[in-house]
Amino acid sequence: MKKLKKNKLVWLFLALSVISSNSLSGQEDSVAPKEIVKLHYFNHNNSLQYLLIESQLKKGKKIEPQKNKGFNLFLDKVQPENLITRVYTDNSGKAKAVIPPQLKDLWDSAAQHTFLVVAEAAGKGEETTSEFIITKAKISLDTSSTDETKNISVTVMKYDNNSWVPVKDVEVKIGIERLGGVLPAGDEDSYTTDSTGAVTGEFKKINLPGDEQGNFLLIARVEDNDELGNLMIDKKVPWGITTKQDNTFFDQRTLWSTRFKTPLWLLFMAYSIVIGVWGTIIYLVIQLIKIKKLASLSAEK
Amino acid sequence: MSCNCGGNNCDKNSRRDFLLTSLLATAALAGCSDKKNPFTPEGEVIPSGEKVKLLSVDGEIIEMDKAFLKPVPDLPQLSNSEERKGIAGKKFVMVIDLARCKNLGKCREACNHAHQVHPGQNWIKVLGMEDSDHTAPYWQPTTCMHCDEPPCVKVCPVDATFKRQDGIVLIDSDRCIGCRFCMAACPYSTRVFNWEEPILIKEVADDQEVVGHHYSCETSTPQKKGTVGKCDFCPDMARKGELPHCVSACPNGVFFFGDMNEDSVTNGAETFQFSQLIKDKAGYRLMEDLGTKPRVYYLPPVNRSFPYESGLENEKQEDKKAN
Amino acid sequence: MENIAALSNEQITRDLLPQKFGRRGMIWTGSLIVLCLVGAYAYYRQLKYGLVVTNMRDYVSWGIYISNFVFFVAISLVGSLITAIFRLANVKWATPLTRIAEIIAVSAIVFASLIIIVDMGRPERFMNLFIHGRIQSPIMWDVIVIGTYFFISCLLLYFPLLPDLKILISVKEKTGKALNKLYRFQGSFWKGTKAQFRISDKAINILCIIIIPVAFCIHTVTSWLFATTYRPGWDSTNFGAYFISGAFLVGAGGVVVAMYVFRKAYHLDKYITPKHFEKMGRIVVLLALLYLYFNINEYLVPAFKMKKPEEAHLAQLFTGEYALLFWFAIMIGMIIPIIMLVFTKGRRPLPVFIAGVMVVIGAWFKRYLIVTPTLLHPFLPMQNVPESYHHYFPSWEEWAIAIGSLSGALLIITLFARIYPIIPIHETITEQHEEVEKK
Repeated sequence: MKKLKKNKLVWLFLALSVISSNSLSGQEDSVAPKEIVKLHYFNHNNSLQYLLIESQLKKGKKIEPQKNKGFNLFLDKVQPENLITRVYTDNSGKAKAVIPPQLKDLWDSAAQHTFLVVAEAAGKGEETTSEFIITKAKISLDTSSTDETKNISVTVMKYDNNSWVPVKDVEVKIGIERLGGVLPAGDEDSYTTDSTGAVTGEFKKINLPGDEQGNFLLIARVEDNDELGNLMIDKKVPWGITTKQDNTFFDQRTLWSTRFKTPLWLLFMAYSIVIGVWGTIIYLVIQLIKIKKLASLSAEK
Repeated sequence: MSCNCGGNNCDKNSRRDFLLTSLLATAALAGCSDKKNPFTPEGEVIPSGEKVKLLSVDGEIIEMDKAFLKPVPDLPQLSNSEERKGIAGKKFVMVIDLARCKNLGKCREACNHAHQVHPGQNWIKVLGMEDSDHTAPYWQPTTCMHCDEPPCVKVCPVDATFKRQDGIVLIDSDRCIGCRFCMAACPYSTRVFNWEEPILIKEVADDQEVVGHHYSCETSTPQKKGTVGKCDFCPDMARKGELPHCVSACPNGVFFFGDMNEDSVTNGAETFQFSQLIKDKAGYRLMEDLGTKPRVYYLPPVNRSFPYESGLENEKQEDKKAN
Repeated sequence: MENIAALSNEQITRDLLPQKFGRRGMIWTGSLIVLCLVGAYAYYRQLKYGLVVTNMRDYVSWGIYISNFVFFVAISLVGSLITAIFRLANVKWATPLTRIAEIIAVSAIVFASLIIIVDMGRPERFMNLFIHGRIQSPIMWDVIVIGTYFFISCLLLYFPLLPDLKILISVKEKTGKALNKLYRFQGSFWKGTKAQFRISDKAINILCIIIIPVAFCIHTVTSWLFATTYRPGWDSTNFGAYFISGAFLVGAGGVVVAMYVFRKAYHLDKYITPKHFEKMGRIVVLLALLYLYFNINEYLVPAFKMKKPEEAHLAQLFTGEYALLFWFAIMIGMIIPIIMLVFTKGRRPLPVFIAGVMVVIGAWFKRYLIVTPTLLHPFLPMQNVPESYHHYFPSWEEWAIAIGSLSGALLIITLFARIYPIIPIHETITEQHEEVEKK
């Protein structure tokens, strides 16, 4: 389990860095809570794009989501025409935004854009503006398979001077979509692009269940890249083993099944005892009634 | 797009956002992807009927339902019979890595909070285990085992606790008569009883997301006096495409949750092929000899991240709180 | 029944007619009612505040309610022993004891059902047992079998009562108007014709046969509430037989006590004689030995192996927290009664009565020891719970309800003896005639 160990180390490192950065900043301003605004740009399958704003309050060491906070989002410049939208954060301190169609000309005009997040003035504080710069990019995913190996290659390109150029040194993760997460497709957790903007990984997860046809969704993604944001692409591949949905679950007659699926032997035993005993009881009650009837007969006599 | 928030938060967010992205995509670009994953809630989200136009990366104008703009989409209210059936095609499973646990108790805290567990009681217990005099002690987070041969379900006289097709054992507090036979039957002592009228501690009462909704077997809330409660594997979270509260609350990634039918488990940051993980780390289940067939697997406490003693400090604090 | 032989029918009737309460009877009944009311108040509190008023908690989730329930079910088995088994075996001397045994059985089974409702967290959902009942659950088996046993016991009480009702109706001046009305309602159709007797005798025979397996069922099923779980101390294939032998013992003990009390209170020395005590004494010894045998079986075998989960349980019983209670229950419930009753001198009325009391008290605590200590030794350690969850001692509400239920059962027996002849008049007369004819 080499991999697991390595992951653990990364984990430890990250955890430590959180602790240290928190404690450092905690010393800096332990009194006034500090607002943190983050903007994540998402590009899915080179088509759909949206923005996720995350607003947090840092009180000493503690970071809490800032609820119901208003933000104005602008593209490139803070001016009314450039307003993307106005959003309020939810309970988790997050809000989503999409770029409206009226900004089409502005969006098309450049390869690089600045998203400006203007936080509403809170109390005595004043409006604060945060800047996030994103370069248009695209990601592509190709697969090739021979008898022995299945390969996945991913290319990351950005738009520069009216043409697509490869991006070097971008971390790309390749995996399979699973419940609650993405299962790494190869031995590596992530790959870094070369000068052609490409990475290649070998698919190593043998005997992984797919759907009824053996398909599953292969995913390549760039996560929180400083220049490009979040890029993601998926592709359905028939590399899994076929699975059949088991529909017989509710047909089982077991001791833990519901009352409608009692085991037949138990039903038979229970009913035969109950019918036997209560049959006798009913017979006895009839005898009692007979005694009663005899009384009225003897009275008539 | 810098993310300097460090390990957990960031990973958690990106995971969740990834799911949402995929659901946004399928909703918006119908036909472009015909995958049908019963887990991501795409099919079940209530569409608002209101369409929003938006700009794509390459400057095209596309249309989508407004409902998908919420960070967490609304899901339809399920009927009791739906909740009793469970999610088709799923077999939920949990893996708990004992090597990573230092008795921080975040799992317990998050779980108690989300399920409005009565103060003092816990659905997740982090047990300080020492099997014999000369074996090493370790911390063992203990949830409901969601057994495939559940002894508690066997003895329930009214179908108040039941086994679903996705492997989860749930309790219907609207049905439970409070006989507590299931508590006696459970060898893992996982069940707790609402001995009195439920009490909400202030932090829970303030949390609008947790209080104030109708009773559901899947959320197990609001708690009801005189009924039994226990770990429910958070099927409501699963329906939303999210992980159980304990899994996402643990900073050490002790808990892994997943679907056996997909052969994968994840703690949010790391995802493993379930069969491979169990094989490589010699996973086991508790009290195998009883034949209860638990759905919770444990990875033995070898190559530990923390010494056992580091958890003792937390234990003391917990004791102080409890008494 | 040689000493009754000289008595005339009128004398027997006069002796055995239900009598009005004397001063002592009034005090006795009054105290029982007060205890019942205290229990009812405690239950009102439990309904209002929830089971939190008890000291049961997540680990000890069953407390004295359940042990009391088991006790009631156990003692109710005596109905089948004295009435059915003796009748089928043609044991004539036991005739005066049959009604005592049956009323103990009926009142105990009534309170067994009540106490199980008291133990429920949501008693208002009792109907769920019928709406959503699940036959896989031993609780459902218990519900069915207790209902059946109650019904059969009532019939077994009623059929032999019919000839007595006729006698009671005939002495209207002695019983009073209200009671006469009740007797008429219940038994005015009984004329005592041959045809009626033929049917009645046959019915009683059938009842005696059928009540035996049903009685075995109620207590076996009750033992299965425990034995179907994995817990150390409960996980035993021996449990059904163990419970039944214990039940017969406590039932016989209960009858012995009741015999003595009725004999004193109603001056029945001529009908319940030292001979009855002598014979019941023998039976108690036999049953105590049988129960002792099952106890040894139940504790020695696991103690020999000392599996880890059993070890903690057994250690706490033999030498630990519950040792005093455990050895007390064993001594008083079995050993001492056996020693007392093996000697002829020990089988005189008073010593037999004392042995009977000891057996009943020992049996009650034995049930407590079967239920509670096991729950304090779960497979996984008791942690992450408040300190109070680690122990169990019943709260005053639990005691009040338990005592109230015991008083309630005694109250039913008392009132029954006030209204109906506690010793069957008709059967006593018939048997006397038979005796005379033999001579």
